[in-house]
Parts: sequence; structure tokens; C-alpha cells
Amino acid sequence: MTDLDIWLIIGVLAIATAATRSSFWLVGHHITIPKRVQEMLRYAPACALAAIIAPDVLMNGSHLQLGLGNPKLIAAVVASIFYVLRRDMLQTILVGMVVFTGLRLLHVF
Amino acid sequence: MIDLGSAPLPAQSAATLDIVAEHDEAAWRDGLRDGVPTLFGIGAWGLVVGVAMVKTGLTVTQALGMTLLVFAGSAQLASLPLILAHAPIWVIFATALVVNMRFVIFSALLAPHFAHLPWRSRFLLGYVTGDMTVALFMQRYPSEAPARGKLSYLKGLLYPNWAAWQIGSIAGIFLGSAVPAEWGLGFAGTLAILCITVPLVANWAALTGVLVAGVVAVAAFDLPYKLGLLLAVLLGMFSAMAVEELSATWHRRDSGEENND
Repeated sequence: MTDLDIWLIIGVLAIATAATRSSFWLVGHHITIPKRVQEMLRYAPACALAAIIAPDVLMNGSHLQLGLGNPKLIAAVVASIFYVLRRDMLQTILVGMVVFTGLRLLHVF
Repeated sequence: MIDLGSAPLPAQSAATLDIVAEHDEAAWRDGLRDGVPTLFGIGAWGLVVGVAMVKTGLTVTQALGMTLLVFAGSAQLASLPLILAHAPIWVIFATALVVNMRFVIFSALLAPHFAHLPWRSRFLLGYVTGDMTVALFMQRYPSEAPARGKLSYLKGLLYPNWAAWQIGSIAGIFLGSAVPAEWGLGFAGTLAILCITVPLVANWAALTGVLVAGVVAVAAFDLPYKLGLLLAVLLGMFSAMAVEELSATWHRRDSGEENND
């Protein structure tokens, strides 16, 4: 691809960001969202976050990998328990990365 | 700044809305405090995207342009294999739109809180609002009612988030291949999201939504245009709502207040 092609792609990607992220900020007051839909939208952030992390934690490439052979899954479980107990995100990220890296390097399972 | 497009407001509410936009030092600090723990994860994710852009063959200038103008990690990552495969530009655009579609829902959640701001401020605030920011903001301000320092709190979340992403991304662009992929640094970003998701699972409805969204995201991972992510969010929300309504029905039945309507 030429330099111009890449910049055109960057341009349309920027438009895709603006069109989606700024959508309701710009036209929202012209649109009335039904109450039931509004109630449903409350669950959107949690669902989106789960949908973003699930493939990273549960999949290896494009296939499912459940069980002890998946260091990310074990690290994520340990990190979740640690976070529920301590409520400290930075420590949780460190613990999760240490477990993940340890399992990866030592081939424990 | 000239206000070209903000919502018409009844005169008496203008004063109440000032407190939303007025700078509030305490709220700004709260935003900063709530956001800081995520910055390490955000930066690590930015780094991974920065490395990926350079490894795809983008020049340093192109990669810098992409991170600064696009500022949407998942859409950028989705576009890279398409660029490698010389996909038509409309396919890249369509894929980015689908990957970003959750942001439309997020903007519908956040925008009503700030409908009275000038349109340029609203545009920019929307443009830089990522996944974690929305989750943290909605936890603190679940209601759209005007509250003191809302805008300051949002900015306390947004600015450091933007800076951490860009610093990580730019570091990745210049480090390029010096960061081995097997280190899995992006996992730090996943862990940060995990921490934000845990408190959101406050009831059975939310738990159902999160589980359904996770399962669908994995099951539909291979769908074209990254449709799996959008499908996961939609089905997750529907399931959460269904459980909420079911449990409300059961509750009414248990307390013997069920109507015949």
C-alpha cells in the first residue's frame, strides 16, 4: 500500500471513532431513548468489558483453551480473587502479571 | 466559545447545570484517584498496539498519526491484518465501525449528563472517552441528575487516560521489535479491565450479562468484521435485562403484590 493509502485508512478510522464515540454527544438531545432501552443500556459497560477480555483470557489464537495449561486463565482467576479480597487494582495487575509470567516461564503445568 | 448546537434549556435549569460544568477541585482529584490504577494497564495496552502498528509495516510517522488521530485501540488492532491483506478501504471502515459500535451505546449513556455543553466540547469529550472511563464514570454518577463536579470528575478520568495510552503507544512505536510478543504485556490491560468489571457485577442480572457477553465473545470470535464483540454486548444486555425482569416478577409474586394487568 502507498503512503497515501495508509493515510486514507487512518482518515476513515478517525471518522469511525468520531462517528461512534461522539454520536449521542452531538445528536443525543434530538433522540428520545425509550425507558426500557435506557434501563438495558445500564448493563452495556459491564458486558462490553467482559466481551473484550474473555477472548484474551480464554482463547489461544482462535481456539478455546480452558484448564491448567492456559497461564492467562489461571492468572486471571488468581487476580480476580486477589482483587475481591484487597480491592487494589495496581497490586492486582502486578500479581496477575507475576503469576502469568511465572507460569509461562516455568512451564508449571 | 459560541454555542451552536447545545440543547435548548428552560431558563431556570441553567443555574443548576453550571454546577455540572464548573471546575471542582475535589471531583477532579477523585477522578484522578479512581483512574490512576488503570493507567499502567492502559499504557501497556497502548504499547502493544504501538508495537503491532510498526510490525505491520507502518512507518513511524504513519503509526504516530494513527495513534494520535484514531485513538481507538481495538479498531486499530482490527485494521492491521486488513491493511496487511490489502483489504478495500470500505471493508476497513466497516470493521472499525462495528468494533466501535459499543461506543454508540456508551455515548448514549454519558452524553445526557453533559447535554448543555457547547458542541465542540461535547464532540471532544466523546472522542476521547474509552471503555474504562465509561464504566468508572457510570459507577460514580448512575443518575443523569445534575451534580456538582461531574465534568471535572470526567476530565480527571479522561486526560490521564489519554496521556497514558499515547505515551504507551508512542513508546511501542519507537521500541518496535525490542518488546517480545511472548511477554504478553497487553495482559496488564486485560487485568485492569478485569478489576473494573468485578464491582460492576453487583447482582444476578449483571452477572448473567457479563457471563453471556463473555461466552458469546468467545463463541463468535471468528465472525467477519469483528461482529462477535457487538453481538456479545447486545446479547449480554438482553440477558441481563431478562433476568432483571424475571426477578422483579418473582419478587412481586413473593410479596403478593402482583397485579392482574
